[in-house]
Amino acid sequence: MAGNAATNGNPIRRAWLLQALLLGWALLVWGRLFALQVLDHHALVQKARRQQSRLVKVHPERGLIYDRHLHPLAMSLQVDSVFAMTRQVAHPRAEASALAGVLGLDSRLLLARLRAAHGFCWIARKITPDQSRRIHALNLPGIYFQTESKRFYPKQRLAAQLLGYVGMDGKGLGGLELSLNRELAGRAGRELIELDAHGRPLQIVERMPQPGRSYILTLDQNLQYVAQQELDRGMQATHAMRGAVIIERPQDGELLAVAGAPGFNPNHLNRASPAALSDVAVSDVFEPGSTFKLVTLSAALNEGLTHPNQIINCQMGAIRVGGVLIHDHKPFGDLSVTQILAQSSDVGAIKLGLRLGKRRLYRYIRAYGFGRRSGISLPGESAGILRPPPQWSGMSIGALSMGQEIAATPLQVASLFSTIADNGVYHAPHLLLDNFSGALPAALPQFLSSPGRRIVRARVAEQMRMMMEQVVLNGTAPQAQLAGYTVGGKTGTAQMVMPGAHAYARNHYVAWFGGLVPLNNPAVVILVVLENPIGLHDGGTVCAPIFHRIAERILPYMGVPRDLPLQPGLSEAGLHDPPADFHPRTLAASPSAFRREAEQARKLLASLARGSRPARSPVPAGTGNSSIVLDYSSGERLPDWTGRSVRDVAEDCQRLGLDPLLIGSGLARRQSLPPGAAVHAGERVEIDFSRSPATSAVNSASPIPPAR
Amino acid sequence: MGQWRDFDWYLLGLVLMVSILGVLEIYTSTHGTRFAGAAGRQVFYIGLALAVMFLFSRISYHRWLALSHWLYGVCLLALAGVLAVGQTIFHSRRWIPIAGIHLQVSEFAKLVIIVVVARYCSELRRVTWLDIVRLGVLVGLPMALVALEPDLGTALTYAPIAAVGLFLGGLSWRQGAALLLLALLVLPVGWHELKPYQKARLENFMNPSTDPLGRGYQLLQSKIAVGSGGFWGQGQGRGTQVQGAFLPVSQADFIAAAYAEERGLVGVFVLLGLYFLILMRLLADARTAPDRAGGFLVVGVAVLLAFHIAVNLGMVVGFMPVTGIPLPFMSSGGSSLLFLFAALGVIMNVHMRRLVN
Repeated sequence: MAGNAATNGNPIRRAWLLQALLLGWALLVWGRLFALQVLDHHALVQKARRQQSRLVKVHPERGLIYDRHLHPLAMSLQVDSVFAMTRQVAHPRAEASALAGVLGLDSRLLLARLRAAHGFCWIARKITPDQSRRIHALNLPGIYFQTESKRFYPKQRLAAQLLGYVGMDGKGLGGLELSLNRELAGRAGRELIELDAHGRPLQIVERMPQPGRSYILTLDQNLQYVAQQELDRGMQATHAMRGAVIIERPQDGELLAVAGAPGFNPNHLNRASPAALSDVAVSDVFEPGSTFKLVTLSAALNEGLTHPNQIINCQMGAIRVGGVLIHDHKPFGDLSVTQILAQSSDVGAIKLGLRLGKRRLYRYIRAYGFGRRSGISLPGESAGILRPPPQWSGMSIGALSMGQEIAATPLQVASLFSTIADNGVYHAPHLLLDNFSGALPAALPQFLSSPGRRIVRARVAEQMRMMMEQVVLNGTAPQAQLAGYTVGGKTGTAQMVMPGAHAYARNHYVAWFGGLVPLNNPAVVILVVLENPIGLHDGGTVCAPIFHRIAERILPYMGVPRDLPLQPGLSEAGLHDPPADFHPRTLAASPSAFRREAEQARKLLASLARGSRPARSPVPAGTGNSSIVLDYSSGERLPDWTGRSVRDVAEDCQRLGLDPLLIGSGLARRQSLPPGAAVHAGERVEIDFSRSPATSAVNSASPIPPAR
Repeated sequence: MGQWRDFDWYLLGLVLMVSILGVLEIYTSTHGTRFAGAAGRQVFYIGLALAVMFLFSRISYHRWLALSHWLYGVCLLALAGVLAVGQTIFHSRRWIPIAGIHLQVSEFAKLVIIVVVARYCSELRRVTWLDIVRLGVLVGLPMALVALEPDLGTALTYAPIAAVGLFLGGLSWRQGAALLLLALLVLPVGWHELKPYQKARLENFMNPSTDPLGRGYQLLQSKIAVGSGGFWGQGQGRGTQVQGAFLPVSQADFIAAAYAEERGLVGVFVLLGLYFLILMRLLADARTAPDRAGGFLVVGVAVLLAFHIAVNLGMVVGFMPVTGIPLPFMSSGGSSLLFLFAALGVIMNVHMRRLVN
């Protein structure tokens, strides 16, 4: 019937048109396939990659921060973060309220976030293990966990301002965490997670993160704790606004404690006020006030312009500098340079400053490190404010001589005390002892520090220390006296400059006290500063007690041997008071003893003349018969001083009429003449002291302890 | 009657090759998903469909033509029944549960419309405008019912059967041009006249709500999948778009995209070649049909297949919007397979009878 069908108009007769249409369509599809699969292949593969994989940064384990005895101060914990894959969340309302209940969030806000999110939504970052456990128990669909690293400060508030803090994304935002961020953070690893359309991971390609370096600080957590506790106590007692305590080892500039107040708890950063986050000790500047007289006086001594016993007329408390009349805080007449420091006479300091002149005074100020950053590894270190001489007014030299017209960080002032403590050598203060990657190294390398920079001669520094002892004994800071230790210090009380106005605020003060202990070879420098204490406000009454309490607690801990005999009956009566009936010849034994005793005698006489007894008895009970009258004719036998304190040795030398050269501090290790040798009054004996037997050889090599 | 030897083994071979490619692709794209097991079901349906095909091949196609009025009536009733009681799946009612199998009535309707159109057009000597309107109503009624399910995509597949029937039945070129012109004029105007919510609804028709992220997403994912395949393909079970479920329900309407990703341009060339051979074979069968009506039946099936293939591939490569039109013999789905093999059975009968007269 094929022919029949054809004649009847076989339907296939017109099929060529359909075939043509189909062929045309097939060609179009083919062309399109060629374009997609060959021409655009790479672009489309890239597109597929992009949507199929997420490149996730894997934060490496952040380095730890240890104190010098390897107690961790900052560490990282693995904690959970919760997120939702919103398309898998079956019942957003119910899940939001359940999660909000565990996490303490607003369930309506959480629900809104879940609904607004496109696929992925963080519920909460870095939750507590307890919250994580409870959410795991809920077993909600579409809710997942990711392990993240959270910074944890096991010692809570301890050294918080120094350590700083870390943001949510693991980046250091303050303190050492910021300045050492690169090293602490390490290098992020990369995780390529291939995802399906529901965001479920299919395959993970990992590139290992490189862990951050860990740092060992010079801080001692125990000293830091004491410093912070005593600072807080002082802050509470005085209602001060801000405060700082620095404990520095003068021999190498190592900072043993740096406390700032008000502090904060870096584990609860959201509760900290922004003001508390800044590091008072290095970022905030204060007028150093009378502590700055150490610069003026040491410069004048170093330049040979004066000597400790030189008498200077303090003009009954007023001096005209550059046409401006400057008043002393108290009218003084004739004072020795030592007394100028002890009584903190402004006029006396100004007169010495004038002797130095602008150029030399400025040079010393700069040399001591004022007006420039120390380079400590902390962010936001301030250089302080110090104008160069061309910008000075006529009275500037006077103002600077007594510590005005200059602003300094507590760290800069601490360095000033340290320089004098280390016989005139400046060591840049530093915090970092060592760093390492990975596990704790078996042995820490020998700590090396810069040799330091000499600012004044060792002799000048020694003189300064003797004068600073008088500040404590007979001057503005009697409360800084310690049982069993010789102390040198200097107080400061500066009026605060009103912010914005070039005038001093009437009732806003900055109180300072810096102390060195023990005097001969200070183991530590402790600097205390309080801003705006209410009521009593001078450094001697508000800061010196803090110094006293800190020193009292830390010196035994540090194993610093006492250099004064500890006599319970004596402690209240004034430990340094020598016997009243000293032999004149013994005065020559030690210049410091001489001056000390001469002053005591003068004081005693003055008090007797006024018909009143001194507040503190110069004749302590039980010491009346201890004086020894030396016999010139017969030579004495030199005792064996090994293991004796500086004080004991000094007293023996006084008794024997010897001229001792006491080197170092701590216990006697070596003496220039053998025990039992016959000696005569006035003979020179060298005795080396050290705090530990191991360093005795080093100390005996040179009178100035070498920088370690 | 020519027994098994007169069977069109060549056509069956081509179709089974496409079906096997389909089963493999369904297996890799559902492996490990909630659709796992679809490949097994597909094999089962192919077996069932083959049985249906052999059954239908034993039934003289003239019987279908003779029963066309009854078939048409049952079809309309069934479609109306679907609207009334059908199960709602993916927000549209298309299914009537029979013996545990979800039978899609609109697939059955395709076969009925082929028979109706073949009967109607084969009796035409000259196409009048009245014929056009009548056929339009005949086909338009089930189209409307299917469109109401709503499944506009399937409904649209009925139109080319009627159009080609008319064309091959002797539509004059003038009439053809006039109809084409009318369609070109009415469609955009009609679209423009629709209110926004109606447009959205229409788009919803076009876009069965299986797709949570909108049509653009599926089309884009399909393009990415095809492009990722490249020349040689990513290999069986290695297509990341498919394995990562970026291509939603890729074993169904987008199986060609999954196939293209895993087999590449070369694989698609093979597949298109198979389809080309199938269509050519069908046209050859139409030519050798014992009578005009038989030829129309075969052509009707060929047109339906061609339309499905063209629209589905056009969608996969991004030429056309997403419509719920499966790829014949490849896409998973029992109703589609059963209908296709039933249609093949009818064609087999036509083929076997080619030498009878």
